[in-house]
Amino acid sequence: MNAAAPLMGLPLLSIIALAPLVGALAIALFGGNPRAPRVIAFVSATVCLVSTVVVWTGYDRAIGGLQFIESVPWIESLGISYTLGVDGISIPMLALMSIVLFTGVLVSWDIDNRPREFFVLLLLLVTGVFGVFVAVDAFLLFFFYEMAVLPMYLLIAVWGSTRKDYSAMKLTLFLFAGSALLIVLLALVYWQVGLGTFDMRVWAAHGFSSGFQHWAFLLALVGFGTLIPIWPLHTWSPDGHVAAPTAVSMMHAGVLLKIGAYGVIRLGIALFPEGVSYWWMLVAVIGAINVVYGAFCAMSQTDLKYVIGYSSVSHMGYVLLGFSMASGAGAQWGLEGAVFQMFAHGMMTALFFALIGYVYEKTHTRKIAEISGLMERTPLVAAGFVVASAASMGIPSTSGFVAELLVYIGLIRTRPVFAAIAFVGVVITAGYLIRMLTSILLGEPSIAVKPLTDPRPLRALPIVMLALTIMAAGIFASPVYDTIASGVLPLVERLTGG
Amino acid sequence: MTGLYLKILSPEIIVALTGALILIADLFDPAASGRKTAAGSTAGEADGAAGRTDGSADGNARPAPRSALAWLGVAGLAVAAVAVALLHKYADSYSSVRICFGSRLGPCPLNATFLDGALVLDEFAVYLKYVFLAVGALALLLSVNALPRFTRHTAEYYALVIWCTAGNMLLASAGELFTAFLALQLSSLPLIVLIAFAKRDPRSTEAAMKYLLLVLVATAVMLYGITLIYGSLGTSTIAEIGNMLAEKAASHEPLSAALTIGFLMFLAGFAFKATAFPFHWWAPDVYSGAPSPVTAFLSVGSKFAGFALVMRIAAAAFFASHASADWSLIFGILAAASMIFGNLGAIKQTNIKRMLAYSGIAQAGYLLVGIAAASTGGTSATLFYIVAYGLANLLAFSVVIALINTRKSAEISDYAGMSRHSPLAAFCLTVALLSLGGLPMMAGFMAKFYVFLSAAESGLIWLVVIGVINSVIAIYYYLQVVWQIYVAEGSDSQVCVGRPDAVAMALCAVGVFAIGLFPEPALRAAERAALALFSWW
Repeated sequence: MNAAAPLMGLPLLSIIALAPLVGALAIALFGGNPRAPRVIAFVSATVCLVSTVVVWTGYDRAIGGLQFIESVPWIESLGISYTLGVDGISIPMLALMSIVLFTGVLVSWDIDNRPREFFVLLLLLVTGVFGVFVAVDAFLLFFFYEMAVLPMYLLIAVWGSTRKDYSAMKLTLFLFAGSALLIVLLALVYWQVGLGTFDMRVWAAHGFSSGFQHWAFLLALVGFGTLIPIWPLHTWSPDGHVAAPTAVSMMHAGVLLKIGAYGVIRLGIALFPEGVSYWWMLVAVIGAINVVYGAFCAMSQTDLKYVIGYSSVSHMGYVLLGFSMASGAGAQWGLEGAVFQMFAHGMMTALFFALIGYVYEKTHTRKIAEISGLMERTPLVAAGFVVASAASMGIPSTSGFVAELLVYIGLIRTRPVFAAIAFVGVVITAGYLIRMLTSILLGEPSIAVKPLTDPRPLRALPIVMLALTIMAAGIFASPVYDTIASGVLPLVERLTGG
Repeated sequence: MTGLYLKILSPEIIVALTGALILIADLFDPAASGRKTAAGSTAGEADGAAGRTDGSADGNARPAPRSALAWLGVAGLAVAAVAVALLHKYADSYSSVRICFGSRLGPCPLNATFLDGALVLDEFAVYLKYVFLAVGALALLLSVNALPRFTRHTAEYYALVIWCTAGNMLLASAGELFTAFLALQLSSLPLIVLIAFAKRDPRSTEAAMKYLLLVLVATAVMLYGITLIYGSLGTSTIAEIGNMLAEKAASHEPLSAALTIGFLMFLAGFAFKATAFPFHWWAPDVYSGAPSPVTAFLSVGSKFAGFALVMRIAAAAFFASHASADWSLIFGILAAASMIFGNLGAIKQTNIKRMLAYSGIAQAGYLLVGIAAASTGGTSATLFYIVAYGLANLLAFSVVIALINTRKSAEISDYAGMSRHSPLAAFCLTVALLSLGGLPMMAGFMAKFYVFLSAAESGLIWLVVIGVINSVIAIYYYLQVVWQIYVAEGSDSQVCVGRPDAVAMALCAVGVFAIGLFPEPALRAAERAALALFSWW
């Protein structure tokens, strides 16, 4: 056994999900001291990170399935229970959130505008996100999902920049509109199953009629898809990324979008296999549009955050392309690729936003035209940009490569037409990223960049951490891949067997 | 038997006596008696001062808030709550043969009728009696610091609130249409006086005038409806009506036109009380004109009285007949229209009282969704929603009243920067609005979810879809206020929250979170109450 063995007896998932909530309460009650909020937030983040590492190392891939299950009755009248559990799909998401939270707290270390409220809301948001990834009860999942939305609104509206009120409201309304569909979905499935339970394991075992599966899958796809974000419901996302403060952009693009994809897997693909096979073409077309259209949009942006914002739309398209394969022979490639892409994209965008946030803080500009010569002023930041862009372009030795490779293998084998279309996206991505890199890294330092120096260790740590994770997941991909595979395999068996 | 009647009516009697006791206690209050002897010469002046809106100048002329009387009222209502708890015992001694059902939901439920069905004591009545007592007590607490702003007649004000509560409680156990009508009048008439209580403020008088006229019209229509029902069926007992309709259903005999019209006219009276479509439009004017603690009371107590009235009849009569699908559709349409009109109206409001009035119309729509479901689950969802909405709305009003007490303004823009100078009050208002909007951890989330879940059970998917779309619209205008509180820059003057207000605020806030996070006990109580209504199934 490993060194973490003594910790295995603890209710680790509850600790992960509720440590931020406890932290938020502690800050609200005792955060009077100006340094207290960030310290408490840091402690919560560390607890989450350590617990996640323990869960990942303790998860038995050979057995697979849901592990670390905790179950307490909650609202018995309606058959709702507080049931938590993780499998190979949720563990990488937990890891992603833990790392982004840890680095996000560090990049927000020097926030001076109402730090107490900032960290309270940040931790509330994180509780919601963690909760979604560990919930086994569908109501609980929805509960946590809705919990994450409001803190997001305030975080953007108070601490954001660039049309923050507009973007915050737009984001909130889009997310609530998506979740409105989910209420309908949950209510329909609850009565369709008719066993008075919201337990997704029971739901998954139920044989839904084909007609029901078709429509229910569409509800899940659009409801959660708003969050992915699927074209044409994506417009809130770049605006939201841009307006949000750095740590929130990191969480937003890094993790929040994954809730959408995760929800489609859990409440869409896992429950309604016939729905996937019925709508695969739609999913694939939307995915291809996301990839290509998002890339084109990113190419024409002048603001660094908007470039990354649209590149997120583009990259999440691969996740959708992966989903579209779930019905056919490429199911395993597709789903593994989708989940790997969720993980990889989370890391790279978090790194991008951490870097851009640092540059913006020092130079007060995000215009590509006004930034040049970063390489000369701050090699570390420049290196970070190179790693993140490499992952974004899918260059080998980064996590992005593994993810795109998996998706493309599946696509070429089973849906070659979409592989060809999506490949246009790869070329454009490389185009706009290389152009961006040459513009901001090379050349003489511009006036705005003059005061820029290498970040102090505290600010450098997030960049180094994220960059190393990206490389590690790309070079030593097998631990990540094996975990994901163990989570995807039962799903694939169900999809192809049933 | 008189002794028994005294016992089963003891909660209402205690409440009514509490009102009288407050009036008597007022006579022995030295401060008040001094005021009354001097009233002959200085009443005009003093009232003028109280009616003026500049704060500091008339500070000395104002009577100090007299919280003792309010606490006396609260104590009376608490005693009445104990009396409600004792009802089980009396009913048990009255009827020896009882059918017991629902072991999962706890002990054997209360189920007894008195006076040939005119009074029903069941779990439904008990549940609502508790709700009305709580609403009355919170309304008293919220009034203490607001009263000196517009009146010196504190005792009379409290007594009217309490008597109105007695009417509401009686309504909850009315098992016969004329009894219900009487109780409804007892609940409506004190409100007319209460709305007009700021007599120096023309808006208050105007609001009372509007309310008076509408109450008269609505009750006249309703009474006409009751006579039509009575004329067609020869009975006014709700249980009897249900039986007769069920018989008609069994023999496929259609409902007569007179009966249908009678029911529809009855619904009109309900819609007025509940501020539901199509009689919702008085709410914004009256809510904004009435003194704010009265608005708070009106927006909760009066609305629930409407629901108390209609739920029993809907369960026993409407849904017992073969036309139940049609009635369900009618309730569904009322629900949808209330939600849509309420939410669209709320969007452009700049006055928070008007906004809450429109939001209250929309909330009446959500409450109706549960009734439209025409099932135990739906009724239980509506009953649960009543508690969730009551707590959240009173919490919102507690902050609104505190701000009006401090700054004499109810404009939404006055909430700018509130999170900086009064973080606790700001937090409470945010929690209240988010609960009304249906966000998790707060009571409203659970309530909305439950209502929609039960509507889906009855196959009303279209209503669920309209409902969820409406909750997105609602989020928009609730967030506008949250935006003012947390994002906008504004005045720095702190909001003063008096002690009774703080108590009410704390109780509501704790309630909102308690029910939002651990809804099980409240859900079970609501389920028991709903089962009582549908026990004939």
